Amino acid sequence: MQQFLNVTLTGLGQGAIYAAFALALVLIWRSTRIVNFAQGAMGMFTTYLALTVIEGGQSYWVGLVVALVAGLVLGAVIERLVIRPVEGGPELNAVIVTLGLFVALQALAAILFGSTFRSFPAPFDLRGFTVGGVNIAFTANSIYVIVAVVVVMLALVVLFRFTDLGLQMRAAAFSQEVSRLLGVRVGRMLTLGWALAAVVGSLSGLLIAGGSLVFPAYMDAVIVYGFVAAVLGGLDSPGGAVVGGLTIGLLLSYVSGYLGSELVALAALAILVAVLLVRPQGLFAHTAARRV
Amino acid sequence: MSTGRLEVRGISTSYGPVTALDGVEVVAEPGKITAVLGANGAGKTTLLRTISGLVRPQAGQVLLDGADLTKAPAEAIARAGIAHVPEGRGVITELTVEENLRLGALLGASRRKTERGLAQVYEMFPPLAERRRRDAHVLSGGERQMLVVGRALLTGPSVLLLDEPSLGLAPRIVAQIFELLRGLVDAEGVTVLLVEQNARSALSIADVGIVLNLGRVVARDDAATLAADDALRHAYLGF
Amino acid sequence: MSQETREAPVTASPPPAGGRLAGLLRWRPRSTLGRHALLVLAALVAVVLVLELTSPFRNSQFATMSYYAIAAAGLTVLTGLNGQISLGHGALMAVGAYTTGLLLGEEGDGALPLLLVMLIAAAVTALVGAVVGAAAARLHGPYLAGATLALAVAVPGLAIYFDHVFGGEQGLRIDSPEVPGWFDATIYFLFAHETPGAKYLAYLGWGTLLLVLLLLANLMAGRVGRVWRAVRDDEVAAELAGIRLGQVRVLAFVVSAACAGLAGAVLGVVVRLAAPSGFTIVLSLGLLTAVVVGGLGSLAGALLGSALLVFLPPAVTNLGIAAGLDGTQAAQLAPFVYGVVLVLVMLLAPSGFVGVLRKVRARRGSSRRTG
Repeated sequence: MQQFLNVTLTGLGQGAIYAAFALALVLIWRSTRIVNFAQGAMGMFTTYLALTVIEGGQSYWVGLVVALVAGLVLGAVIERLVIRPVEGGPELNAVIVTLGLFVALQALAAILFGSTFRSFPAPFDLRGFTVGGVNIAFTANSIYVIVAVVVVMLALVVLFRFTDLGLQMRAAAFSQEVSRLLGVRVGRMLTLGWALAAVVGSLSGLLIAGGSLVFPAYMDAVIVYGFVAAVLGGLDSPGGAVVGGLTIGLLLSYVSGYLGSELVALAALAILVAVLLVRPQGLFAHTAARRV
Repeated sequence: MSTGRLEVRGISTSYGPVTALDGVEVVAEPGKITAVLGANGAGKTTLLRTISGLVRPQAGQVLLDGADLTKAPAEAIARAGIAHVPEGRGVITELTVEENLRLGALLGASRRKTERGLAQVYEMFPPLAERRRRDAHVLSGGERQMLVVGRALLTGPSVLLLDEPSLGLAPRIVAQIFELLRGLVDAEGVTVLLVEQNARSALSIADVGIVLNLGRVVARDDAATLAADDALRHAYLGF
Repeated sequence: MSQETREAPVTASPPPAGGRLAGLLRWRPRSTLGRHALLVLAALVAVVLVLELTSPFRNSQFATMSYYAIAAAGLTVLTGLNGQISLGHGALMAVGAYTTGLLLGEEGDGALPLLLVMLIAAAVTALVGAVVGAAAARLHGPYLAGATLALAVAVPGLAIYFDHVFGGEQGLRIDSPEVPGWFDATIYFLFAHETPGAKYLAYLGWGTLLLVLLLLANLMAGRVGRVWRAVRDDEVAAELAGIRLGQVRVLAFVVSAACAGLAGAVLGVVVRLAAPSGFTIVLSLGLLTAVVVGGLGSLAGALLGSALLVFLPPAVTNLGIAAGLDGTQAAQLAPFVYGVVLVLVMLLAPSGFVGVLRKVRARRGSSRRTG
């Protein structure tokens, strides 16, 4: 029983992070119809920036701000310079560009920050709570993780549903041409979309790193799991990304806990294939099944 | 709403090797409905898309009150006061009715003006008011047309470009919408460029008519004169 | 061979204008197979000369290039000709390598001859390719990329999980094949050179590569190639023309998987090891870089890209060390350059090196005509 509880709680914590990452992917997919395979590498890079700042003597929170701002800038710059030329062209080109970014960023991080494993601080206690004399795998830090993700998601919901800017971004994502005819500066909306997604990606990178080790490839698996989560929820659905993320977090945690951690990647693959074969538009797509 | 004089001078637009427009000259006066007529493929939609900036012409100019808008991006042209209701209407179906309208109202200045504008549109088109919180895809064809016209009006345009508003609509609704247009032009003095395949209905409310054929202007006259010209009607307008 | 990606009419050249010797020199075989075979024969001669005249170190580099090229050739056909992107070809190479490892064993005590083992490895990988291809047949663009990426990440995990079969993290050791007596004797007879293991492996790799290139070139120029291109360019039209999309896609996957499996087998005997660390995402992405930079759908491009994959990293690393980076950092300079090159190629020259060449040739041809 205790193991089940622990595995579940771990899964929820991980799931929250996958949810954030999947949300970043969905944001970019909705606005530019591109899957940003470099999202993890971007998050990894900004996390390293935060680490540099923290090891230079600043607090975790300063590092957090640095990472988020860096993410904002990085996302905007990448969209404007690298992605804009391939938007609207053959899908293959955009896929390859994001993969190139992925490889380049990872190598750059290794050059600038080294390939060795470095530990990243966690802002809160990492010891599990003791409930009724039993130690469970839920820590103060886990609470922070979940709260951070929830706050960011609520902020995004408020932005998109209740502000004019959010309305413009959604319109630009759904129908570029019509939006332009209504005076929406679509280019700026796309850049903003990438910038916001990168902020969310940076947050994911930080949350995963907290209390753990970072190395240039540490976000590689997250890209895959985040992608599976986004596909599970439906690439067009932010709500789906959240549910997908939590689901994947739980499922993979069970696989890791009961079957072995080497099989986690295989389980992710199996889930992905199952979703793509059975319900390719994802669980929450309300639009007609998109051509997958 | 302000008024504006739209001039299209010697516009030639091509899609790759295909010439869609060849040296087209059009003048649309404020307070008048200028109908652009012709068969399928005559270049009518391309003309509107060139004016609104979705397509770049290879030659020629688009002038609004003398200002050259030819090379401006579409969003800048919209902000300059040219509202284009595109072919297929352009309802953003993933947004609600009200959100679609608000999108248009964003070009208007203040919050109060938006609320007033919305109220006006709802008064003009009661079916929209009934469904204001629903996703736009639940609207019927006629209601969608109302939505996009209302949305375009909310941008406070000086020029209104309409691409085949009657397409797919019942004659009764078409008559309603055309009547509304005529009333709008008479009351506010907006410039309207109306592209239509339904030449008969278009000429009945238009002041001036222009006929395109294979990318060229083949006739230009008062609407009444065009409607009375049997040979022309048979050759290019199908009635 | 890059011409073969176009819809080039297959005709013999017109009768010679003058002189019997000139005519003989201008003779071209009538069939595509003939032309390709001739090219391959010429290439074989070139390979022999190069391998005999270069050092064992270079020979082993060429051996490495050969297995990248085999996999890249299969990938470029899949992605360039049929339009399906795969980020999982590294995993398919792993299947080939592990199969070879299981069959050949550490002491070479498997009773099967090497060529048969390689064929089996290709067949097994082709089977896996059929399964993957069937699952992938309905996927496009980013979904396909994501799914194959997931495959690339999952396969090493499998090898670690079933460590009693696959040797876990350390992998399977593979015995290097002995140089056959007749081969050694022939080379000595022709060049008075010995044949160390590294050189023989290079011959093995390149022999396989040339055979693969011949087969693929014929495939591409024939009906199958045309059908694949049709599916890539316009699915709806192809389907309306009676082409079974699913079958075509799966077949393309099977062919490219067989190539990857063969490449994995060669990798196995060259590196003498089949281990998870040898088949990371970087391998799959490296293959993708090779085919993109060379030019999607072009076999010559695949060759070029593979050469880049093998010969660029040491050059770049040396540059890095000269510029003051330490060893490990300089080693990362190569993947950094790949990534940047990949992005730049997509932005500036999406048709790759071969595509650029073609455009230059076309422009020069037209200016000659008008000038």
